[in-house]
Amino acid sequence: MIDQPSPFGSLREQLLGAAEQFAEGPVAVSGILSGLVDDVDRALREELEIFPVCHHSPASALAMVRRLREKQPKVIYLELCEDLQPLLTELRNCRLPVALQAFATDIDGFPKSWAPLSVVAPITEASAEYQAISYALETPGVELVLVDRSTDHVFQWAPGEEPQTAAKEEEAGLHGDAVGVEIGDLRPRFAELEEHLLHHGKVRHWSEWWDQYVEQPLSGADYETYRQVMVLIGSLFRRLGPGGGRLAVDEDRERYMWTRMREHLSASGADAADCLYVCGAFHAASHVEQFGVRSEAPFEISPRTGTKWLYGLIPSSHSAIEAQFGLAPGSVSIAAATWSKALTRGKLTPFQLQGQKGARKRPAKLPAPVPQGDVADKLTGFLSSPPALDALDEAELLGWSVDIVRLARRNGYLASTADAIAVYETSILLAGMRNRARPTPYDFQDAAVTCIEKDSVPGRRDVRRLCEILLGGDRVGEVGYDALPPLARNVYDRLAPLGLDLEKRTIQRALLNLQAEPDLVPCSDLLWMLRHLLPSDAVRPIMGERKLGERSIQESWDLSFGKHQRSIIELGYEGVTIEQVLEQRLRRKVWDQKATAAVALAAVEDAILFLGSRRFADELGARAVELLAAERTVDDAPEVLRRIRRLMAYYRSAEPELPAWCEAFATSGYAHYCTLLPTAFVDDDTGVRQVSAMLGFLFSMESLALALGCDRAQLELAVQQSHPEAPAKVALLWAARHQLGLLPLAELRSRADELLANPLVIPSFPQYIIGFVQAMEPVPQLSGFVVEVISKAFGRLPDGVLLPWLPKLITTLREGAAELVPVLVREAGRTFPGSLTAADTWTPPWESRPQPASAAGAAPMASGPVAELLLAHPAACDAVAGVLGCAGEWAAPGAGPADGHPEVSALLDGHPEAALALAGLLS
Amino acid sequence: MSDDMLRAPAEVKYAEELDYLESIDDGPKPFSWRLSPRMIRMFVLGSERADGIDREIPQKWFGDRSFVERSIVTLASDRGLLLIGDPGTGKSWLAELLSAAICRNSTLVVQGTAGTTEDHIKYSWNVSMVIAKGQSRESMIPSPIMTAMEGGVIGRFEELTRSTSDVQDALISILSEKYVSIPELDDDNIVFAQPGFSIIATANSRDRGVNDLSSALKRRFNFVRIPVVTNKKSEAEIVRFRTEELLRRHRIELDLPPTLLDILLQSFADLRSAASSATSDDDKLESALSTAEQIGVLEDAILHSHFFGDRVLRAQTLAGSLVGSLARRSPEDLAILNKYWHGVVEPRSKKDGGEWPEFLEGGREAIATLS
Ligand SMILES: Nc1ncnc2c1ncn2[C@@H]1O[C@H](COP(=O)(O)OP(=O)(O)OP(=O)(O)O)[C@@H](O)[C@H]1O
Ligand SMILES: [Mg+2]
Repeated sequence: MIDQPSPFGSLREQLLGAAEQFAEGPVAVSGILSGLVDDVDRALREELEIFPVCHHSPASALAMVRRLREKQPKVIYLELCEDLQPLLTELRNCRLPVALQAFATDIDGFPKSWAPLSVVAPITEASAEYQAISYALETPGVELVLVDRSTDHVFQWAPGEEPQTAAKEEEAGLHGDAVGVEIGDLRPRFAELEEHLLHHGKVRHWSEWWDQYVEQPLSGADYETYRQVMVLIGSLFRRLGPGGGRLAVDEDRERYMWTRMREHLSASGADAADCLYVCGAFHAASHVEQFGVRSEAPFEISPRTGTKWLYGLIPSSHSAIEAQFGLAPGSVSIAAATWSKALTRGKLTPFQLQGQKGARKRPAKLPAPVPQGDVADKLTGFLSSPPALDALDEAELLGWSVDIVRLARRNGYLASTADAIAVYETSILLAGMRNRARPTPYDFQDAAVTCIEKDSVPGRRDVRRLCEILLGGDRVGEVGYDALPPLARNVYDRLAPLGLDLEKRTIQRALLNLQAEPDLVPCSDLLWMLRHLLPSDAVRPIMGERKLGERSIQESWDLSFGKHQRSIIELGYEGVTIEQVLEQRLRRKVWDQKATAAVALAAVEDAILFLGSRRFADELGARAVELLAAERTVDDAPEVLRRIRRLMAYYRSAEPELPAWCEAFATSGYAHYCTLLPTAFVDDDTGVRQVSAMLGFLFSMESLALALGCDRAQLELAVQQSHPEAPAKVALLWAARHQLGLLPLAELRSRADELLANPLVIPSFPQYIIGFVQAMEPVPQLSGFVVEVISKAFGRLPDGVLLPWLPKLITTLREGAAELVPVLVREAGRTFPGSLTAADTWTPPWESRPQPASAAGAAPMASGPVAELLLAHPAACDAVAGVLGCAGEWAAPGAGPADGHPEVSALLDGHPEAALALAGLLS
Repeated sequence: MSDDMLRAPAEVKYAEELDYLESIDDGPKPFSWRLSPRMIRMFVLGSERADGIDREIPQKWFGDRSFVERSIVTLASDRGLLLIGDPGTGKSWLAELLSAAICRNSTLVVQGTAGTTEDHIKYSWNVSMVIAKGQSRESMIPSPIMTAMEGGVIGRFEELTRSTSDVQDALISILSEKYVSIPELDDDNIVFAQPGFSIIATANSRDRGVNDLSSALKRRFNFVRIPVVTNKKSEAEIVRFRTEELLRRHRIELDLPPTLLDILLQSFADLRSAASSATSDDDKLESALSTAEQIGVLEDAILHSHFFGDRVLRAQTLAGSLVGSLARRSPEDLAILNKYWHGVVEPRSKKDGGEWPEFLEGGREAIATLS
């Protein structure tokens, strides 16, 4: 090579340096060097013209435009998954960048845990592949053939473990969790090599290295130079790269591609000289036996698995591409800016698909092709001519400098014209220091940061980010209506009555006055379904609610479909209408292995709310019954109770009778929870809340369950078998016994008082209170007593016990805020005085109770047949009193004839059944 | 000359290297600079084979290349340079290296404190001379900044944010008008800055809010933010570089075993991650755990082994120094260190062996002595 200052001098130094560093010994270096020459030679001599590309390289795209005009090939072979081919014409309906996507949920032949499988291949406008695609699709008689392995093979050949993905945000997350494939991946294959190149190239990241050492020198190069340089780099990375799985996959791909191309050539009878093979520079330096049209080495292409692949286009963005392929932020935008500048400079017209948003009306006619000359060593000649610096660069830099100051001001910086001058000068100084003929966008960015950024960022964006915006910013693509899957089109069609432009990326506000415009009801229904299926900020209700038995008459929505187009498109892979997708999802949810009764009840509710199908809701409900019976833990009991109550309340108000599954749920739940109750009471892992919810279920479903044939004895037995030790659960058990009439209020009260009086149990008294508080849910009539207990506790417990426990009480109340607090507050309001003055003279009702009791005693004791009757048969009265919480004693009968109405007693004595039954029922 | 100083300024310490660079430098030099920007970069960041010079220039400041480039370029423009960052990130050291390389004088330094007055950045009077001869240029004592103006060289201002706003205002006029007038004198009463004059200031980002810079002053400085080094490799390089220098300075012959350096770096990394996940200040060591702090620990250990030990650096001594320098508050810091020793060092010493058991032992002893 030559020793003159040249645009490629530094690239050569870089590559040589890398070869020396990573080859083992000088012999190996010379081996590598001669190998490089061989590789370049072989690739350039191949009969089927190989066009090496690198992704996001404006130089590649430019060279492609020029070459296509010159050669006008008849067939273009492109390194892209072959099964994506039908999607290509759909690109016409989109605004780039978009990504071709293959998607599979229905997998067969891969581990189930991989589902869903998703592959994306983003296409940007500034890419060589887009040029090739546009040329081929717009020029009559030209065939485009995708030759890379199918998306199915991407996973077949994937190394054993699950394909990994990383979390990303906003625009950068446009591709979701897909595996990315890209044409022309050209980057060092191991970290040390990249680090070495960056370090010695005195640049920060790979895109900058590429820009400085390859892109800039190549900007004015001719085709032969371009090819030689690209293959050289591809070859070096290949030779220095580690072997292993990734290389093996690459080689298989090369075998695949050459096999496909030979198949096509022989089938179509095309002349290899009229064809062009577009592939990554890495593959241009391939060593597989199958390389070349003359090769006869066989390669057997394995069949695809039974996985069902679906195809579509999804929006992409520069930042999504950067995130997916590990490129520096802003680098794809900078490449796009460089591309359009180069087009202007070279007065070139790029190829473009008809119908593309922003496309010219009619394509320019292609000039006649230029006959192919001999492959000559153009490298040498080119190396000696320095790159031309032109006025365009200077004007551009000035423009940037002025614009960045303006942009910075708008973002809160105190920047001035002086800063614009400083940025301009600093860019030039930096470029000079970094050995660059003219400032690159990266120099400009550094200069702007140096001169404008101070100690803090005033607004949302810092100067670095502003520069990225200035240099093109993130561009976000959009998939046009016609290229959307049926479901997405259906969604847009059905929302058309709203009269909004839903393709806009800004948030659209929809106002639905459902009373005035009843024809908007279907829109509202659809929005609620979408709300359920899409990410939460895609469809957000601002006003209006949909709950069981409730519908709003006015709704307003914030819709952001433009931003979430991918999510809508991906729903389209699951079905043809939203209803179908929703039904499938709900069904999948309740039949999942991890499904619980609570999940199934939630699904029932969703089905009622969104699908309105009784049949389907019943199906899900039946599943809920099954799930409940199979459950071994009661963790979900509170959730189950809440949901089934809500559903029953809904059915009772909306339908003539309860659906069969509800009844089944009540009876089987009754038996289920009875069975589990004794264990739940003693099991340390089961919380008080869970037990309380079980009791709540048992008590509130009791009448229904008994009516349907359950046996109350089961519950009584269960309660009798429960012997909790934890204070809170003991309290709960007392409450349950009280509810069952086994423990009168008076006794409950005296038990509580005993506890408070016993210094040994005082420290655990707060736990009892927790139990009582929880008991308000299953035994609501106990709330007065709970207020009493709490008041006593606050009055009597020492601070040392009380204070540490308060937070616990508060959190307990907060967990049950919806149910517990209102009851407690209402009861407390009833108990405590309403004004300060009243407070002075106030005595708590439980302390003043003895007086009314004695007053009642003092009241003249009625006598007569009724009193006698009651006295003789006190059971029923005692039971009623017990339930009502009245303590009292039977007073001796007052004056009066003792046997005034013997016939009544005789009657009762003779026929005691009715009275005994009443007593039995109440106790 | 450098032998007679406790710590020689960079231009003295690297005089020979600077001479050499000057002799081979054929790049364009701004103003009266002694070296071209590219040579300055090489002086600070070290040379590479690809630079094609006959001797190796060692790296002196470690960090992102672009920080150095941006700093140099700023000084070649008409703005001052403000290096801002956390304590111990090498701001002052970079400022010193840059002024040494640009004008061979890094000693024109003003230290910013609450007590710094306008006199410190303009001029003051030699009172006895004023009494004897009256006010004249002779009886005037120029500040380091004024000296730098007159000489067309770099003046340094350390800890800019600590000085009061009067002082900062005075600096504004110096930076924009580029002269200082001396109203006390009737003639010859303006000192003009010669080309090449500029200011490198440093500011500690933790001090923000003490005396916030006015926006007028901000405008006259380009800010270069120096982040904390988190890359273990460069941190190791910094520590090794500084320690070797220290050994040379104290004329100590002592090996710095790489395994011990690893232990030091590892324990700092552990303690930092513990600090970043701590929820309250009490769970966090008071020390910022900067690179400079690491150097301090090593320095202490080396001096200790040299003067009190058997002239070999041992893990035990290192542990002692680490505990000694980081345990500033008793009992909080000690408790944290104790927890670290039990929870991390102990298992590691069982698992990895090597020097860790000795490090474990030494740390335990030191903690026991201090508590
Ligand atoms: N990146 C670095 N390269 C070389 N040495 C460094 C680096 N960072 C820190 N040091 C060393 O750490 C020590 C402290 O650095 P220096 O005094 O420059 O810090 P500083 O940023 O000025 O701190 P402060 O804000 O407290 O003044 C110096 O001896 C320096 O050599
Ligand atoms: Mg300092």
